[in-house]
Amino acid sequence: MLEKKTKIYWLFILPGCLFLTFFMLIPLFSLIFKTFMDEGGAFSLGNYFALLESTYFKQVFWRSIRLSLISTAVCAVLGFPTAYYISKYAKNKGMLMALAVFPMFTSPVIRSFSWMVILGKKGIVNDLLVQSGIVAKPISLLYNEFSMVVGFIQLFLPLMILSLIGIMDNISDDLNLAAGSLGASRMEVFRQVILPLSIPGLVTGSVLVFTGCLTAYTTPQLLGGTDTRVLATLIYQQAMSLGDWTQASAVAVVMIVITILVSHVINRISRKLNPTI
Amino acid sequence: MALLELKDITAGYDKNVILKDLDFQVEQGELVSLLGSSGCGKTTTLRLIAGFSTPMSGKFIFNGKDYTQVPLNKRNFGFVFQSYALFPHMTVFDNVAFGLKMRKMPAEQIKKEVMEMLETVDLDGFEKRFPREMSGGQRQRVALARALVIKPDLLLLDEPLSNLDAKLRVKMRVEIRRLQQKFGFTAIYVTHDQEECFAISDKVAIMNHGVIEQMDSPSVIYNHPRTEFIAQFVGFENFLDLKPLDSQGLYQTSDGGRIQIDDGGNKSSTRACIRPEDILIVQEGMPAVNLVTGEVMVSTFLGKRNQYNVRTAIGEFEVSTDQESVYKAGDKVTLSLTPNKIILL
Repeated sequence: MLEKKTKIYWLFILPGCLFLTFFMLIPLFSLIFKTFMDEGGAFSLGNYFALLESTYFKQVFWRSIRLSLISTAVCAVLGFPTAYYISKYAKNKGMLMALAVFPMFTSPVIRSFSWMVILGKKGIVNDLLVQSGIVAKPISLLYNEFSMVVGFIQLFLPLMILSLIGIMDNISDDLNLAAGSLGASRMEVFRQVILPLSIPGLVTGSVLVFTGCLTAYTTPQLLGGTDTRVLATLIYQQAMSLGDWTQASAVAVVMIVITILVSHVINRISRKLNPTI
Repeated sequence: MALLELKDITAGYDKNVILKDLDFQVEQGELVSLLGSSGCGKTTTLRLIAGFSTPMSGKFIFNGKDYTQVPLNKRNFGFVFQSYALFPHMTVFDNVAFGLKMRKMPAEQIKKEVMEMLETVDLDGFEKRFPREMSGGQRQRVALARALVIKPDLLLLDEPLSNLDAKLRVKMRVEIRRLQQKFGFTAIYVTHDQEECFAISDKVAIMNHGVIEQMDSPSVIYNHPRTEFIAQFVGFENFLDLKPLDSQGLYQTSDGGRIQIDDGGNKSSTRACIRPEDILIVQEGMPAVNLVTGEVMVSTFLGKRNQYNVRTAIGEFEVSTDQESVYKAGDKVTLSLTPNKIILL
C-alpha cells in the first residue's frame, strides 16, 4: 500500500524541479556549453586556453585561491577556541551563539562600509598607529589584500563557529573525563580527543568558508582595489564592463571546478585524520 | 588504616548541596558498592573521588596523602563509565593503549600489555575493531580493559552494567568480580540495582539524601538493616511500634499485646520490622508464638506463593506464604511473627 502511495508523492517535488530546471539548470548549462565552443559553434577548448595564456587571469586565479585559503585558515584558528568555549564552558550559550552569528544579520555592503571607516586613512586603526608613534603617517590598510581578508573573515567566521559548535556539542564530556582519568593532560585531551573528533565540523566549516570566500562578490568589490581582482569580480568585469559573456562563463566554470576540487581534497585529508567519519 | 577516606565532605553545584558532611572509608583490596536511588549522591561521591569535581569542603585522603586537590590526570584511578566513553575515533587497541601512551611506556611494552589485557577480558582478535563495530557487552569489556591496563590504584565503576540486557548483566558482574579478585584491586562500584550490588560487593554503603545510612557486608545489610529506609530498601514490608518490657526481648505492641523478639540489637528500640515471608498464617494444631489476629483484605496469587494483605489491630501486614491453604478477602486469620526474624531498628 505504502509503495503505491509513495509513487504519488514525487509529484510534490515536481514544481520545484521544474522551476530549477527552467530558470537555473538550462541557462547555466547553456552558458557552460558556450564556453566549450568556438565562434562557429564547434567544440573547442579555445576559451580555456585563452585563460591559461593570460597572465592577468593566472594572477587573479592564484590571488583568489590564496586569499580564500588564508581566510579559511584564520577562521579555523579563530573559530576553534571560540566554538570550544561556547560549546563546553559557556553558561549563557544562547547569548554567545547569537553574538557569534550576529554579523550575518547585516548586509555585506554595510559591513564593508564599516571596515572602510575603521581601516581608512583617517580611520580608528590609523589614528591609533600614528598616535602611539608606531608609524609616522597613516598607512594604507584599505583596497588591498589585507582589507579583503579582514572582510572575508568577518563575513564567514560565523559559519565556521556554527559548524564547529554543532559537532562539539555531540562530543560527550565523558570522553574528556575518560582521557583525563587515563592520565592525559588538558593539552593531550585536546590533541588526542577533542581535535580529531571535531574534524567533521572543521571540514564542513572550511568548505563553507572557502567556497564562500572564493565566490564572494560584494566584499572584494568594496574592500579590494582595482589591482586586487579576484575571480568573482573578474567575472563581473568580463560580463558587465567588457560584455564578454563567454569568457565570464569560462571563469565561472573554473570557479565551480575549484570549489568541487577543494571540498574533495579537504574531505580526503579529514578522512586520513579521523577514519571514522 | 583505610586506603581511602572521605572526611566531612560537602559537595554540590552552586547552592544545591548534594553531599552533606559525608564520611566514607574503603580498605585495600575491597570492592565497595554505593547503592541508592537516583539523586542520592552516589554518583557525585564517585566523581568526586575520581577528581571530576572538587568538594566545597572536607578532605579526601588516599593512601595517607591528601588527594583533595590532586588533578584528575595525576590520580592513577581507572574509571568505567555508564556510557563506556570509548574514544570513537580509535581502534580497540588504541583505546586500551591510551593510558599507557600517556605514561610514555615504550611501544613494544604497550603492545604486550594491551594484548595481554585484551586476552584477559576475552577480546583477543578484536584489537583492530572500532567501538561502533562492537556489541554493548564487548564495549563494556573494552572499557574495563582500558581502565585496568594502567594498573590503577583504585577502580571506579559508575553503573557500568545498566546499559546491558539482564542476562549479560549477570555475566558481566561475575566477570568484574573475577577480574577484581584476580588483580586484587580496590574498587568502588556505583549502582541502583540491589541484587547486582549484593552479588558483587565485599561491602555495601546505602546512601539516602547525601548521607550513608549504613555500610556493612551484604549479608549484614540484608539481615540486620539499621534504619527503616534500609529495611524498606532490602524488602522489609512490615513495621511495628513497640515498647520494651524487659531485657529478655519481651515487647509490648501498640494494642497492648506482647511479643517476643530474639534480635540482639538495640534492646531499647521502639520500632521493628519483619519480611512478608517470615510471617506465618497459623493453622489448627500448629504450635505458634507472637500471635496477631486480623482479616484478609487482599489476596494475590503469585504462582509459587500467595500474598495477603492482612489488617490487624497493630497495623496492616503483608504476608507472603507458600502454605497450601488459600484464604480469600474477608477471611479471619491468625498471624505468627517468627521471633528470630523480627529485626529491631
